[in-house]
Amino acid sequence: MPLIATKSLTKRYPGGVTALDDLTVELEPGIIGLVGANGAGKSTLLRILLGLLEPTAGSASVLGYDVRTQGTALRRYVGYMPESDCLPPDTTATDFVGQMARWSGLPRSAARERAADVLRHVGLYEERYRPMGAYSTGMKQRVKLAQALVHDPRLLLLDEPTNGLDPAGRDEMLALVKRTGTEFGIAVVVASHLLGEIERVCDHLVAVDGGRLIRSAALTTFTERTGMLAVDVEEGAERLAAALMAAGVDAVADGRTVLIHLEDERPFDLVRDTVAELGLPLVRIEQRRRGLEELFQ
Amino acid sequence: MTAPAARGPVGEAGTGSIYDLGYRGYDGPRFGRLTVLLSLLRQSLQEAYGIGRGGRAKVAPFLLLILNAVPAMLAVGISAFLNQAGGSEVLEQGMPIRHDTYWSLTSTFVMLFCAAQAPELFGRDQRYGVLPLYFSRVLTRIDYALARTGGLYVAILIVTLLPHLILSVGAILGAADPITGFRHELPEVPRYLVVSLIGSAVFAGVSSVVASYTPRRAYSVAAIIAIFIVPPIVVGIIAALSVPDIARVLLLASPSDVVDGVNGAVYGPLRIGGQTFDVATLPGWVYVMTALGYVAGSLAIVIRRYLTVTV
Repeated sequence: MPLIATKSLTKRYPGGVTALDDLTVELEPGIIGLVGANGAGKSTLLRILLGLLEPTAGSASVLGYDVRTQGTALRRYVGYMPESDCLPPDTTATDFVGQMARWSGLPRSAARERAADVLRHVGLYEERYRPMGAYSTGMKQRVKLAQALVHDPRLLLLDEPTNGLDPAGRDEMLALVKRTGTEFGIAVVVASHLLGEIERVCDHLVAVDGGRLIRSAALTTFTERTGMLAVDVEEGAERLAAALMAAGVDAVADGRTVLIHLEDERPFDLVRDTVAELGLPLVRIEQRRRGLEELFQ
Repeated sequence: MTAPAARGPVGEAGTGSIYDLGYRGYDGPRFGRLTVLLSLLRQSLQEAYGIGRGGRAKVAPFLLLILNAVPAMLAVGISAFLNQAGGSEVLEQGMPIRHDTYWSLTSTFVMLFCAAQAPELFGRDQRYGVLPLYFSRVLTRIDYALARTGGLYVAILIVTLLPHLILSVGAILGAADPITGFRHELPEVPRYLVVSLIGSAVFAGVSSVVASYTPRRAYSVAAIIAIFIVPPIVVGIIAALSVPDIARVLLLASPSDVVDGVNGAVYGPLRIGGQTFDVATLPGWVYVMTALGYVAGSLAIVIRRYLTVTV
C-alpha cells in the first residue's frame, strides 16, 4: 500500500484557475520533497490530501484512506503545518499545542504531556509559557511544527516550513524535519520552492509545475553528480588551491571555496592531508551536484 | 570498553544536543468526533468566560453575568428585609422583579453578553487563521460549528438562569417554612426554564450567525447589538405610522421581540408597577414556533458558513 496515491487529481478554482491538472503519483514512506515555483499547486495538493479541499476530479488516498470519504479517520494520523500564520497571539504555546492535541482526539492529560514533550523537541523551553504574540518567526514556525507533531501522526504534511527564517533558523528547521523523518519514523512531505533546501533533507522528490507532475523519483536520480568537489575553508582558500595545484590536481580558489576537478578518487585523501598540513579551518567538503533548477528549464 | 551507545543522531552534535531527548510515540486512546466535539464545546464555554485567557478577558463576561443577576439579588434582599420588618405583604406584591418580568427587564445585559463574547468564540479562529488547524484534525466543519454555537448557548444559559435560581432560593429560604416555600416555588421552575432555554437559544443562534460572518471584532460587536435593537425601533416607527396589524406581524422579524413574545406566551401580559403591557399580541404558539425557527435557521446558516469558508 503506498503512503500517498493520487489518480488524475484535478483542482479547478472558481474563476478558471487550474491549480492541479491530472496529477497521478504514487509515493512510498520517507521524506518526500514537493518542489515547484509559487503557484505550482503544492499547497492545493497538500490540502486535498488532508481532505480540507475537494478535488474537482480524480481521486487520492493517504495511508490507505480515501480523502473524499474517509477524511475524519485519515486526519487522525496526519499532521499538517500550514504555510500561513495560524497562531493566536494571546495564547501560550503550551495551551495552544495542548488544545490542538485534544482536537486530534487525545485525552486531556495525554494532550498536556504530549504538548510539553513536543515543544521541547522543537526547542521551545521557558518561552512556551508566554503568549505567542511575542514570539520570533523562528519560534512561531517551531510551534507550528509542534502542533503538527503533537498527536504522533504517521504522516506530516509541511507547507514551506522554512518560510521567513534566517539561514540559521532554516538549518535548524531542516534538521528537525530530517530527524522527524529518520528517527521518529514519521513519513514527511515537505513542500518548498527552494530546491537547494529540499535536497538537503529529502530522499524522494516530486516536482510540479503549473499543477502538472514533472517528475517523481528518488533524489539521487535527480541530481547526478558532477565531477566537482567543493572545499569550503574559513580562510586560506588561495593557499590551499596553490598547494593542490602543486600536487598535480586541477584546483581553483573561488572566494572561500576551492573547486577541484575530480577525475578519480585520489584528491579526497590529498585534500584532507593538505588541509591538515596547512592547518586551515575546514568548513565542509561536498561533491557538487547538478542543480535542481535545471529541471524547470 | 566500548563507547557508550549513542543516544542521539550521529553527526548532528552541533544542533542536535539540545534536542537530544529522544522522541516518544503515543499509543494511548484516540477519541472520535463526538468526544472531541464535546471537548471543543466545553472549551468554548470556558473561552466565553475568558477562562484560561488572562484577567482582562474575564472582565466583560463576569461583569455582565453579575449585572444581570443584581436585580434578583436586590429583590431577594428587599423581601428578606420586609419579612424581618414585619412582612409587608402589600409591598411584596408590588415587587416588580419577578420570574415573569425578569427577561424583559434585563435582556439588555444578555444582548451585551452576546455582543461581547460571541466574537471571541467565532472571530478569533478566523482572524488568526486557526481554522485550517481545526479542520485538518478529527472534527468536521459541521462539528466545529455545532461546538462553537453550543458553547455560546451554554454560556448564555448560565447568564439567564442564574438570577432565576437566586430568586427561587430566596423565595424558598424567605418563606415561613422551607417546605411550603419549595412547594410554592416549584411551579415557577418549568416556566422560567422554558423562557431561558428558548430565549438563550435565540440569542446564541442569532449572535453566532453574525459573529461567524464578521471576523473583525469591532464590526461584529456593533452588528450583534444592531440586530437586537434596530428591528424593534423600525417596528415601532411602522406602528406609529398607524399600521399596527403589519407591525404586529413584523415584530416577528425582531429576535428580541420574539423572545419577549415567548415570555408573554408563558406568563401572560407583562405587569409592572400596576400597569399591564401586552407585548404578545399574536397567539403564544406563534412566538414559540418563530423562536424555534430562529434557532434552527441560525444553526443552518452557521453550519453553511463553515462548510463554505475557504481555509
